[in-house]
This record gives sequence, structure tokens and C-alpha cells, in this order.
Amino acid sequence: MTATISTTSVTPTRRRRRSARLSPLLVAFVLVPFAVESVWVFWPAIQGFWFSLTRWDGMTPPTFVGTDNYVELAGDATFRGALVNTVIWLVLFGGLSVLGGFGMALVLQKERRFVGFYRAALFTPVVFSLVVTALVWRVFYQPDGIADTLLRAVGLEQLIRPWLADPQTALYAVILPALWRQIGYVMVLFLAGLKAIDPALHEAARVDGANSWQRLRHVTIPQLKGVNAVVLSVIVIDSLRSFDIVWSLTKGGPYHSSELLSTYMYSTAFQSLRLGYASAIAVVIFVLALAVILGYLVRAFREEAS
Amino acid sequence: MSDFDPGRRRFLGHLGLAGLGALGASSFLSACASSASGPTSNGSGAVTIQSNLSSPQAKAAMEKLIETFNAQGKGTASLNTIASETFRTQLPTYLTSANPPDLYTWYAGSVANDYASKNLLLDVSDVWKSLDDYPQSLRTLSTDASGKQIFVPMNNYWWGFFYRKSNFAKWGVQEPKTWTEFLALCETLKSKGVPPIGIGLGDTPWVASAWFDYLNIRINGAPFHRELLAGKQRFDDPKVKAVFTRWREALPYFDPKGKAYPFQEATTALLAGKTGMFLIGTFFADAAPKDALGDLDFFRFPIIDPAVPLAEEAPTDGFFASAKTANPTGTKALLSYLSGVEAQEAYVKASSGIVLPANPRAKASDSPLVAKGKAMLDEAKELTQFFNRDSSDALQPTADTALTKFIDKPDQIDAILREWQAGAEKVFKG
Repeated sequence: MTATISTTSVTPTRRRRRSARLSPLLVAFVLVPFAVESVWVFWPAIQGFWFSLTRWDGMTPPTFVGTDNYVELAGDATFRGALVNTVIWLVLFGGLSVLGGFGMALVLQKERRFVGFYRAALFTPVVFSLVVTALVWRVFYQPDGIADTLLRAVGLEQLIRPWLADPQTALYAVILPALWRQIGYVMVLFLAGLKAIDPALHEAARVDGANSWQRLRHVTIPQLKGVNAVVLSVIVIDSLRSFDIVWSLTKGGPYHSSELLSTYMYSTAFQSLRLGYASAIAVVIFVLALAVILGYLVRAFREEAS
Repeated sequence: MSDFDPGRRRFLGHLGLAGLGALGASSFLSACASSASGPTSNGSGAVTIQSNLSSPQAKAAMEKLIETFNAQGKGTASLNTIASETFRTQLPTYLTSANPPDLYTWYAGSVANDYASKNLLLDVSDVWKSLDDYPQSLRTLSTDASGKQIFVPMNNYWWGFFYRKSNFAKWGVQEPKTWTEFLALCETLKSKGVPPIGIGLGDTPWVASAWFDYLNIRINGAPFHRELLAGKQRFDDPKVKAVFTRWREALPYFDPKGKAYPFQEATTALLAGKTGMFLIGTFFADAAPKDALGDLDFFRFPIIDPAVPLAEEAPTDGFFASAKTANPTGTKALLSYLSGVEAQEAYVKASSGIVLPANPRAKASDSPLVAKGKAMLDEAKELTQFFNRDSSDALQPTADTALTKFIDKPDQIDAILREWQAGAEKVFKG
């Protein structure tokens, strides 16, 4: 950022001279972060790939086992369950937070009375740490807690169950607080995008007789293309790294029914002390994230080229 | 990612972040496991003691002990208290780092022996020379496979069915001795509208392991239990299935809400008379209000087969030291102090928990409850530690999965035991 500012603020003559020979400052701005990243990010990441080919308990030196870990993954029922749950999580958490966030942004886009209050209220959960969020929701879900009291009040007590301890409901009971938080975040992203749309476009569409649905479909949504890309990457990253809320509410239980790849990776690594196998799970998470995002990127590039 | 400029450049930036985020997932693992950053001990200077006793009373008690030790002039020590979950996950890292802390609070039994077998623990046989009067059971427990002592016990506690005396009197029931009497008691309590057996599995699923441990040592005996937990027997053995057949007889009497809340809330439920009794270790009383403590009593896990030698769970806490300590003399001096009568009595007094000092000459607190607990352990032919302490923390999650699933779906016991065996094999294989 700083580098960009310094080049744009200098006079044209100096800039020409700069482009011929790289400024040492610029080189430093590139190399120093690169060196830091290499030590703290790239090198451990490459190590992670190596560990996924080993058996390692964290104490004795790792032993190379080839693709054994991946072969085991293929036949591991818990891993398959976690994979399915992660896909469910990606679709429900991702999909609903986009729909909810976009809906809220549309509703709260116009400046009117109390709109600031509503926006702030929706954004508040983002401010809380997810562990705090989990504490609040735990009280909500506890036996005879708020959820149960509400159901009793409307005469649906036959639905009452141990929400977080029932394998049928545990995953969805964890998605809800995650959504509660994410919708506010996505809403802010879309609000910023909506603000950036030139009002003249809507004006023109209205003059041409477009109704509000047509304006949404043919003006707003195409104009939000850039924001969509950001939202997509945020959602995919947030889905795949979702860990804290699940871990604080259910630890992936009861008996793996709310297990995600991230929680399974953590428990394999730090409870079962099978760091090689856990690294293999981490590699799968990496490949998944890359596949989803690359898929989108390739499509976006193709659209631009045509 | 607080900026949301939708331009393509920014998008590419996010992409990069996405890749790194995912790479970070794997780097996170290796960074945590390979970085060796413990507090360092400086040569023959202060002995660093890494403690997981992070509850306020226990922490204060430890601080006081170290203060007294430093005042005695036999050496200096500095205490480093770590949140217990962090301590648990970081312990292997501490021990394998190049410059590790000297002394650690931890558990006796196979968890300690496992580190000893990797040559990570200091031989403390010297300290044990002055501990002649310690019972043989504690000495055996602190000895590794090669015959040297690697652990110094501080105290132990017991598990039992705790209940409120006033409630048992109100319901007109007595402590049961045998399994049949126990089931009859459950039936009586149920007919009075009280869920007989409290449990707390939400967030603390390991509490269920107490049921497994006790049923197994009552039906198959402690030696079989230890072999099973060491991987020398199989979880899909008919003898293990027999444990669950018994357990199933008691399942209808479990408090259905117990699945959803942790043991602390199960304690509250017991004290409020919402459950009849609760199989738990004495640590649960930390969360109990002082006025309720006098009303608490317990009975031992009922006898199922009188022919099986009596065994009880008595988890032992204490210390071990790093083999790589730069100051073995100072470390051993501190261990000798900690195992002495004075330090153990001071700890018991300050910590407020219901614990029994390891030193036989040190006096436990003189409540009738503690006296009863001590008598129960003295009467036992064998002592076990607890599921994770007799096996490993790595095996514990396999038990949590199997046992919570059994409580939910007792019909599927054969499949559950097969899965448990498969999960355990992976842990033993490493």
C-alpha cells in the first residue's frame, strides 16, 4: 500500500527515473514481508505437506509412510462424515448467509429513521468473539433454557430435545449461531457494494419502465459482480476454517455427528497425537478451498475474455 | 479483511489470502507441534515449575508452597501456571524442546510411563530413597518399565456415588452394597419422580468413562482393565460386552438431561435434589457451595461379583521432571520438599479440594467424608487411575465416542465395540 502511495505522489519526471531502476525502498517493501512470510507461512505449509506423508506423534522423529495416510483417509468413516458435514456447512452456512446478508442489505440500504440502529444491531454479533457467542448460545440451548421455554410457550413442547447433544440436531444447532454472526458481516459487504452503484443507472432503468424486480435483476445484481467475488471467497474461507464455534459448543460430538474437517483435524492432531494423519486432513482442506476458489476464478476470467 | 473494495486487484489479493488461509491450516499444525518455545531455565539457577493447577485455590496453594521453599534457602524455584487445556496439548512440546522447564505437575500411571519410555523424564530414584514410608502401591505406580522411579506423587482422590444425606433421609433410602440393591434403589427413586442417576456429558463426555472403568473392574477385574487399556486385549471381546450388558440394566435410570449439560451443572442438579446420586470424583465439590459440603456423602460403586478382588479408582496427581533439566540437584531438592509432610499438609489445607495427601504421615483434612474416602481406598486390593491415565489422552476420545453413542443407542453395542476397537488400534499404531 505504502509503496503505491509513494509512487503516485511523486512527479512524472521522477517516476520515469524510478521505473528504470528499482528503488531500494520498494525492494525492501517486497523482500522483507516475503522473508517473514517464508519463515512463518510458506515453510511450515510445505512442511505440512511433508508431514502428511509421515507417521508422527509430535515427540519422536516422523517416519515416512508414503501415501498410507491418504489411503486410510479414503476408508475412514469419521472423515467421510466430517467431509459431508463440511459440505452441508458450506451450502447452508454459505448459502444462507449470502441470502440473509443480501436481503438485509437491500432492506437497510435506504437511509431512513433508525436504519443506523438496525445496521448496528445486525453487525453487533460480528464484534463478539466466537467463543463468547458460543457461551451465549449454550445458555440458549441448555435444558429448560430459552429455546425450550419458547417452544413450550407456543405449545410445541414435543419438539424439545437436547439440541447440542442430539446427533440429529447438533450440526444445525451449531450452524445457527455461526449464521447469526456471519449474516451481519456479509450484510456490510453488500451494503458497501450497493452504495457504490451509480444511482443514475437506477434512474435510467426507472425511466425505461423497469419495475423493482427487473431493476434488482438487471441493474443491482450485475453491478455487484465485484462484491460477489469478495463475498464468495470470504464465505468459502470462513466455512472451511469454521472451528471455534463448533469446538466450543460440541467439540464435534456427540459421536462425531457435528464433526467438521477442521475439528477432526484438531482432535486428530492434539488429542490423538497423530500429527501425520492430521496433516493429511489439512492438505485435503487446502485442496478443497483451492478447488472452490480456482473454479470461480477460472469462470470469472473466461467471462472477462469473451 | 476489513476492506471490501470490489475491484479485481483486491479480489486477487483475497485469493492469495484464501490460499494462505488454507495453507495456514497445515502450517498451523506443524508450527504448533514443532516450535519449541517453553520458558527456559537458566543453568543451575531457579528451577522452573510448570503447573496446570490453574483453579484459583490450587494456584494460590502452589504459589504459597514455592514461596516457602524459596524462603528455606535450599534453592530457588519459579512457578509458571498454565491453563490446563493448553498445558495438556503443549506438554509433549515442553518435554521435547531443547531447553525445557524443569518440573511439571502431571498424572501418575501410564501417561507418565509413556514419556519415560521415550527417555524424556528424569530418574528421581534419589528422591524416593527418603520416601520409605510411602505405600508400595504409590511406589509401583511411580516406577517405569525399567524399574526406576520417574514420578513423585503429591495427592490422590477417589470416585464414588455422591448424594445428599438429607435427600436420602427424605426419600427413606439407604446406601446400596450390591448391584441388585443399587438397581432397587434406582427403581425406588424413579417411583418417587426423581431421576435416580445424574451424569454430565455435554462438554465433559469423559465423565462416562468412570462408569466403564468401574463396571469393568467390578466384572473383569483391574488386571484385565489395565491390559485392555494398554492394547493387550480387545474392545470387541465378549468380556467387554458383558460390561455393557450390565450398564444397560442401569440406563433407564439415567437423567435424560445429563447428555446436554457438563458435570458442573450435573453437580448443581444433584445438590438441588433434581437427581438422586452422581458417580463422580471428589473434584466436583470445588463447584459446590460450602454449606452443602457437610450434607454430602458417598457410597462405593456397588459390588457385582464378590469373587473379583476389590479395586477403586484413585487418580494420583504429582510431579515429574524433564530428563534434560540443567539443574537436576535443584529439581530433586524441590521434589523432596514437595513430598514432605509440611508441604503436603499446607497444600491440602490451602487447596480446599477434597484430596488425600500422598505422604502417609501427612494429615488429610479431618472431615468424616475424607476419612470415609481414605478408608475405602485403604480397603481396596487394587487402585486404578482413570481411563485416560491408565491408557493415554489419545485413547480417551475413542472412549467418549463409544460411550456416548452407547448411552444413546444401546441396541447398536456390537457395532459400537467394533468401531471402538478400530479407533483404538489406530491410536496404538500411532
